Amino acid sequence: MAYGPSKNRSRSQNEVREPNLIPIMNLFIVIIPMLMTIMVTVHLAMIEITLPTESAAGGGGGDDAQEQLEDLPKVITLALLPDRFEIMVEGIDDIISIPQLSTGTYDYFTLDENIARLKENNENQGTIDLLPDPTVKFDTLLRSIDICKSNNFPNIKYLTSLTKYYKAK
Amino acid sequence: MNTLSVKVNRSGGGKFQHRKRGNKTKDLNITSLIDILTILLVFMIKNISMDSTQKNAPEGMILPTTVTINDLMESGKAVYLKIYPDRILYGTESIEVGSLQDFLNKSEIRNSLLRLLQMEAKAITSVNSKPCLLIQADKELPCRYITEFIKFSAQASFANIYFSAIHTENKNEVLGL
Repeated sequence: MAYGPSKNRSRSQNEVREPNLIPIMNLFIVIIPMLMTIMVTVHLAMIEITLPTESAAGGGGGDDAQEQLEDLPKVITLALLPDRFEIMVEGIDDIISIPQLSTGTYDYFTLDENIARLKENNENQGTIDLLPDPTVKFDTLLRSIDICKSNNFPNIKYLTSLTKYYKAK
Repeated sequence: MNTLSVKVNRSGGGKFQHRKRGNKTKDLNITSLIDILTILLVFMIKNISMDSTQKNAPEGMILPTTVTINDLMESGKAVYLKIYPDRILYGTESIEVGSLQDFLNKSEIRNSLLRLLQMEAKAITSVNSKPCLLIQADKELPCRYITEFIKFSAQASFANIYFSAIHTENKNEVLGL
């Protein structure tokens, strides 16, 4: 003889069973602080510079060599001085001077304009020689590098000697 | 405690109501909390970066801001050099080398740092990688020290030099506008 289902059994079948969220909560409580500690809030950037190398002066003469010399991109030197920027282009006597807006405030906007113009005139040149004065701040140096790189001068050659700036006569 | 329970029971209809046997304690509804935490989790997983170079922002140092980003060269391995206005720290373990004046004036400090860099460069090249120096310097630091470190690292066979900065998308910030 079979018995009918108990009242308790029928009651438990009718109730909607809630999932046990406690293990998930425990997991979240561990994961979220862990992610917060390793989350990047400040994105760091890296700026590459190149060191000056001894360029090998090759021999050879004739018209071909002369043509090759003419095709060579002009050397552009940006000097960071305590009170101004100076841009010197190889073969051009006029030095572009960008004075500070006020004491300690460099005119980065004019520098950006000049570098962009230089890029238009020297499309085959991708390198700028950078010559910082020892007293110039690192911030000025990096902003100048950034302006050069953002104007399609990807190679920044960091000159470490002042003597390279002045032309021998 | 008893008084409170009597009051509650009487408010129902004047008579004492017998508690049902096995009356369950009410569970805390944590479903909404789970929802929020799930969204947080997804957001964090999306924003997380496994790039080791982005996780080493030096504490107490104000870095300059730049728009451009250069990647570390292929098969390059970076050695960190943190230059604060008052001290120099070497490597990811931030080994204190000394002050900037010590670095310029004391030959033993320079020699020990040079030895460290040379050893590091040798170890990196032995595993067919290229040694790169990542200079993290305070924005107020004069370039005199930067130039000295660049010359110095060249002596220790570090031909690839990188500067560390905070990345921004806004060029006007760099131009000071």
